[in-house]
Formats: sequence, structure tokens, C-alpha cells
Amino acid sequence: MKASPKEFRVDAAEKLSGATSYIRDEQIPGLWYGTTVRSPHPRARIREIHLDPHFDWNTVTIVTAQDIPNNYVAMLENDMPFLAEKVVNYVGEPVALIAAPTRAEAEEAKKHLRVDYEPLPAILDMLEAEKSSIKLFGENNLFKEIVIEKGNLETAREKAAAVVELEARTGYQEHLYLEPQGMIAIPEKDRVILKGSLQCPYYVKNALTTMFAGLKHITVIQAPTGGAFGGKEDFPSLLAGHAALLAVKSGHPIAMFYDREEDVQVTTKRHPSYHHDVAYVDQEGCLLGLDLHLWLDGGAYCTLSQVVLARAALTATGSYYVPNVRIHAKAVATNTVPSGAFRGFGGPQAVFAMEMLMEKIAQRLGLPPHEVRRKNLIKEGQDTATEQVLKYSVSARETFEDVLQESDYEQKYRQYQEWNKPILEKLRKGEYPKSNRHDRLRGIGLAAFLHGAGFTGTGENKIQGKIRVELTAEGKPLIFSAQTEMGQGEQTAFRKILSDALYIDRDDVLLAEVNTDKVPDSGPTVASRTTMVVGSLLVDAAEEIIQQLSYRLKEEQGVQFDYRRGYFYGGEQILSFREVAQKYAGLTVEKQYHHPPIIKFDDIRWKGDAYPVFSWAAAVAEVEVDPVTFEIRVVRYFTTHEIGKAINYNQAVAQIEGGSLQGIGYALYEKIKLQNGKFDISGFTDYIIPATTETPEFQVKILENPYPFGPFGAKGLGELPFVGAAPAVLSALWMIFGKEFNHLPVLPEDLLQLFSKQKNTEG
Amino acid sequence: MKEISIHFTVNGKKVSLNVPSRKRLLDVLREDLGLTGTKEGCDVGECGACTVVMNGRAVHSCLVLAAQADGAEILTVEGLAQNGELYPLQKNFLEYGAVQCGFCIPGMLMSSYALIQENPHPGEEEIKEAIAGNLCRCTGYKQIIQAVEATVKR
Repeated sequence: MKASPKEFRVDAAEKLSGATSYIRDEQIPGLWYGTTVRSPHPRARIREIHLDPHFDWNTVTIVTAQDIPNNYVAMLENDMPFLAEKVVNYVGEPVALIAAPTRAEAEEAKKHLRVDYEPLPAILDMLEAEKSSIKLFGENNLFKEIVIEKGNLETAREKAAAVVELEARTGYQEHLYLEPQGMIAIPEKDRVILKGSLQCPYYVKNALTTMFAGLKHITVIQAPTGGAFGGKEDFPSLLAGHAALLAVKSGHPIAMFYDREEDVQVTTKRHPSYHHDVAYVDQEGCLLGLDLHLWLDGGAYCTLSQVVLARAALTATGSYYVPNVRIHAKAVATNTVPSGAFRGFGGPQAVFAMEMLMEKIAQRLGLPPHEVRRKNLIKEGQDTATEQVLKYSVSARETFEDVLQESDYEQKYRQYQEWNKPILEKLRKGEYPKSNRHDRLRGIGLAAFLHGAGFTGTGENKIQGKIRVELTAEGKPLIFSAQTEMGQGEQTAFRKILSDALYIDRDDVLLAEVNTDKVPDSGPTVASRTTMVVGSLLVDAAEEIIQQLSYRLKEEQGVQFDYRRGYFYGGEQILSFREVAQKYAGLTVEKQYHHPPIIKFDDIRWKGDAYPVFSWAAAVAEVEVDPVTFEIRVVRYFTTHEIGKAINYNQAVAQIEGGSLQGIGYALYEKIKLQNGKFDISGFTDYIIPATTETPEFQVKILENPYPFGPFGAKGLGELPFVGAAPAVLSALWMIFGKEFNHLPVLPEDLLQLFSKQKNTEG
Repeated sequence: MKEISIHFTVNGKKVSLNVPSRKRLLDVLREDLGLTGTKEGCDVGECGACTVVMNGRAVHSCLVLAAQADGAEILTVEGLAQNGELYPLQKNFLEYGAVQCGFCIPGMLMSSYALIQENPHPGEEEIKEAIAGNLCRCTGYKQIIQAVEATVKR
């Protein structure tokens, strides 16, 4: 569908002409290149850093832990060093940095630096971490442990007609943004300027101000960013630290540009998870109680694992109402690359386990999987595991029923079961049919899912994001915020929100460069909070601009002015917004965010409003499986999302498709294994993401159900589409094979194995 | 490293350069000619971000040595727009909302351009096949395919 010109993305024309200057496109005179010396061991003591005496070290700059005033990346726990000093804790951990006038010279110097290690035993299995005698974090290697309880599981146990138990696992996932990590540091006398591909300029500023112990003024500028998905939330603080250290020591601007292999080997990944869940249900499949245990592998350092765990725990019951719940969640330390933020932030793992539990309940009770879900979907007025009563904008049921109808789920479910019978029969007998189109097994699966919009718990009130809007000499409002464009459409959404709130043309709203010297800290661009939380401040700012301009007109002209649809009316005069704004150019309005007072959360007892509101969705995936090669393809994907209000409808649809496809990748293609603590991937060759040929036909629908405190009713969108895609795809595999699928990803070899097992047990 | 002298045409302009013999076309475009619209996403011909059109065919400029481009006619993303006006393919990418982060876009455009030059009326499957080597992590490819379809329907 072609959009109207007013809906076109504001950044698209420049990107299409090749003129957008990403960080690697910058032309900076005298730029040097940095490289990183890394640990080859999952855990080892550093004995000595040895420099080859025959190499001329005068031509390069070396930085080690000794050069760093405060050697920790300021984040939640301050446990991760910029450079390891005595011990390394994961394969790829930075130990030293080298910079030289060219990349080749830096790489050459690296060959002449040798680190002597004494290898130590390591923790490589998340389930062994807590009891291990190796101590990586605190007493028991737990970055965080959360227990959430509601009601009484004993009553559920007594009343239950069936007890259904599930073990589930999810693997690593790499963001694979098309633009690898990149950062440039420019040293000045008392300041360092950092410019790079990043999501959260103030995270970087805070980390570097701390690193230099306040001795340097830090300016952070976001360069156009070629995709991020959470991968440029926490990691750029480390990378910027490296660039800045080399820049200050060498006196040269420094580029830290990772190539693809380095990027996939050492940057953060989605947390792998392990789940052990028990459901107590009645005869009809109604949930009486859930006893959920989940573990997240945080890797060697904490990064954001504590809040990822919180979101996972708070999302663990999915889109369902459960009267009695216990959730026990742990994020553990292991000797692996630190896990970090990734679209969904713990939610996808939690929803996956819950949805697979739903499949298992349906299978156990002999009920259709959609019926079991339908009976348990949460409604307005019911409460979540933290006893948050859902008061507004609740659409678990509406999205679910809509997607069932749009996809014709029930009829296809029956049709496909009939279709599959003869093919499965041949498979069971070992008569593999010829690989032709008509022999393909057909599956249809579904998932219900949600995403809590904005920061978890008290986060927004702690951050208290601020924005500023100024009227320029041309009478155009100029927005100052730290929110970043990384492809998700922030620039377009912000200009649209403010222009719609003021009834002016979108092209008359300007955005200031994201530079920490200029923009206030509106908080990070994460947690699907930009449109809903920071966008709401733009509407507040618009209201105040109108009030102030009306007041000034009245002061000056002595008559009351009213504002309607772009014009001020007073006495005999009609003045356009532009005219009045020009007249009072320089007028500045600041807004700061606080949750509406009715939103309350106790983050010690884990009670109350974990999120101000949730966005809701459901999806149906149609899958084909080749019975000879076991190749799995999603052929059609239907999803209905309720996000309050879509600010830019076409772009919202595009983002839902992109997020869904990333989730399909998580389900069927994207696999990373550890070999002695090292990831077994090097790039696109051995880590497969969906291309056009793996992309299903999408049918996306957006329902409206406004959130009273969002701009025009909007809630968060960015992460939600990802959350339900993998469980919907796996649900289709349950449907085809009638077997349990409890891990991500599922590859053809997993199906083959399942079948040889089936043959053995049944034949 | 040994230097060689090469001559080729880029976006209609003739250029002559002395470059190290092992230098990649991608680096010559980006570093020597300042044509930074062409992106590097992987360095091994897997992601398609560095795609340019060489003698009418889409090639991965990270896999082409500058020496191989001697005498060639090369088109990069910067050469598509004429007199400041977007080329129809670019216009359709804009209008169909095909752009998100934008990093894959120059390669997508050049692969689509080469397809249309070779086959002025490709069907949906041919379009998908032509850009199957251009990876995008933001979109679900749908708007990109629609934009190419709209261009060939003109």
C-alpha cells in the first residue's frame, strides 16, 4: 500500500540517495584506527602482557587496565571492566587496546603483543552457576533473583484435574544489525567527543564521565544508526570507553570499527533461558495455578541482566489470567560473552515457555489449542501476577479473536490435519514420499502475547525524562530530546506527534541533533518507550506552547486569543501559528515525565503496576514442512496488534512485519553454540537470518484501543511483534507432529531426530 | 604493496587512479572517490550492502578487486538520482515505506536496478530472487518488493 506523502518517513529520501552519513562515512582528518587484544580463554589469570622488544612501539599507542582512572563500565552493577586487569572471564574479553595511523599497522602491532595466561576452570552451563565453587558474581553467581507470588498454589493443586509440567530452553540470538558497531572518539584539551552508532547517548556519557573520574567533559553525538534492536543499548558504552582511552593517550581521533566477525563474536546476545514450569488446570483447561521457574544466562558481567530478568518474570504468565501464581526467576553469571538488551528484553523467552505450556495443556486434555488459550485470556478488571488490575486498553481477547478470524484458523486446522494424515503415515512407515510441493506437511499455529510498555516498575519515575521545545526565528518548533533514530521511525513519529498536536505541517517541525551538550536527558531509546512516554511530553509541550503564545498575544493586544486548528483568533484578527511563533521566537518549553499518580509499583515486594499499560497481540503462523528434507518454511503469517493508536499506520505495519520476521528467524534459523566458551559463528555465512526467500506472506492488522496517557492514545510497539512469532511458529509444529516442541530454534535436524525417535518408539 | 593504474567510469564520470593492487573496489569507491553511499556489512559477499552495478550486473564490491574494475562502467547509489530528483525506483522506495535504518538500502536499490535493466518486467518471484542476496534486518521485505513491483509496472 502506498502512503500519502504526509506519511513518508522524514529520513528516507536522504537514505535513498546515499547521502546519509553513518559513522564509517565520516571524513575526519588524522583519524587513527583502534584494535582490541582479546582473551582466547573463557577464564584465565593474566600473568603478563609482553611487548616484542624488536618491534618499534613508538609508532602506535597501547592502552591497558593501568591507564584507566575508573576501570568499570558504569551500568547497573559496575562489575564489568573496560579492560581486564588480573582475570579474564569470557572468550573475547578485552585485555589491551592498540591504535595506529592505519588499520593494517594496528593489526601488525597486535601480532607483537603477547599475553601470558594461566587458564582457570570456567562455568559454561547456566544451571551449574549457582552451586559452582567458582565465584564470578557475589556469593552464588546470581545477578538477581526474583520471587513473585499471588494467591495460594496449594488451593490450585488441590482442585486441579491435571498437572502439566514443561521444561523449555531458548538459545542465543545475535542482533545482526546491518551496520556493525562503530564509534569515533575525538580528543580535545578538557573534553572528549564521542560520535557513533548508538541508542542511548546519556548511557555513554555517564559511563565515560565515570571512567575518566570526572576529569574530562564528555560530549556524545549519535551518528545515523544502521539498526540496533537493543544491541546498541549497553554495548556502545564499552566501545566508546575504548575509543576514548586510545584517543586521550594518543592525542589522535580514534575509530573503533568492528568488522562483522568481531561484532558477532564479542558483542552482547539475547539471554539464553531455561524454564521449568508446572500448570494446575481444571478439566476444561482453565488455569488454576502456575508454578514457574526460569533461568537467564547473563554471561560474565551483569550489564542489564537484572532488568531483563525483571521483564521476563513480569511477563511469565503471558496474556493469561491466573488466580494462583509463583514465579521464581534467576539471572546467573557464567564465563560467556555478557548477554544484553535485545528487542523484547526477556519477554520473548517468557512468552515462549508460557505458550508451549498452553500447547502441552491442550495436548494433555485433548482440547484444541486455541480453546485452551481462549478460556484463559486476561480481561479488563482482572489482575496480573503482581496484582496489577488492568484498568484500560486491554485487548488480549480482541486481538486473539480477530487473528483467528482473519486467518481462518479453525477451518485450516481441521483441513491441514486431514491433509497431513497420509503423509505422516508414510513417514511413520519409513516410506519417505518424493519431495514435491503436494507432499508438504501443513501446519497452523498460534500465539497470544503482550508487551509492557515503557520501563519496568519504577524505572520511568527514576529517570524522569526531559524534553525541550524551542521556537526558531522562522517560527518552527525545534524538538530537543535524546531519543535516537535507528530505523524504527522515531524522527517521523516525533515530528508527526508535535505537528498534529499543534495543527501545523509536519515539515514545519524540526529535530535537534542528538548531542548531549544540546539535548536534555529524555531517557534511553529502549523499552518501547519513545513514542508512548517521550511522545506524551511532546503533546504536553504543544499545549503549553499554545497557552503561552495565547497569553502573550493577549498581554500585547489586550484581547483574548483562542487557538483552533493552526490559527489564533482574537478580536478582528486571525493569525497563523507560524506568524505568532515567529513573533515570539525563542520561546522555550520544557517538560518532564512522571507516571500518572494512579500507577504504583512496589519493587521490593513485586506488587502493583509493573507497567503503566500493556500492548497486546496475537499471531497465526502457517508452516510447511518438507517430509524429505524436513525444511521448515513459514508461508503465511497473520498478526493482529493493539497498540493504542498507530501514530504512523504504514510504518507501524512495516515494523510489525520486520519484528515478526526477526522472531521467525529466532524460531527456525538463528542458532549459536558454544565451543569451549567460544561462539561458533563468524557472520552471515554461518548465522542465517531470513532473506526474501524465507519471508512469508504477511497479513497485519492494527486495532485501536487508546491508552489515556499516551500521545493520541498510543502505546509502545517496537518490541511487541517479535515476542509472539517464535511460539506461533512452534505451535504449528505441535499441530503437525503432535509432539512436544520445547526449545528454540528448531532446525530440520531436530525434526529428523524426532522422527527417527518416533519410528523407534512406535514402529 | 604494488600500485597499479586503473581507469573506469563511475556514475558517468571517467576516473583514473593509482591504487594498491589488492585494494577492493568497495574501498576505492568509499576512500578514493568519497562515494560512501555504498556500505560494507560483512566483507565476504554475504549481506549485499556493498552491491554496485558493474557493466550492467549487480556485483558485491567487497569481492571485486579494483584491478578487475579497470575499463568497467560502474553505477553506485549516488548515480541514480538525476539533477537532484530521485530515480523512479528510489521514489517508490520512499512512497511504499521501504526504508527503515537504511543501511541495506543502497545495495537493495542497485540489485533491483540491475534486475530491471536485464528484465524490464520481472514478476514477484523474480524480484524476490534478485534481492535474495541483499539482507535486511529491519523490514519484512514486503515494502521493498512492492516498491520494485511498482517501478516495473510503470
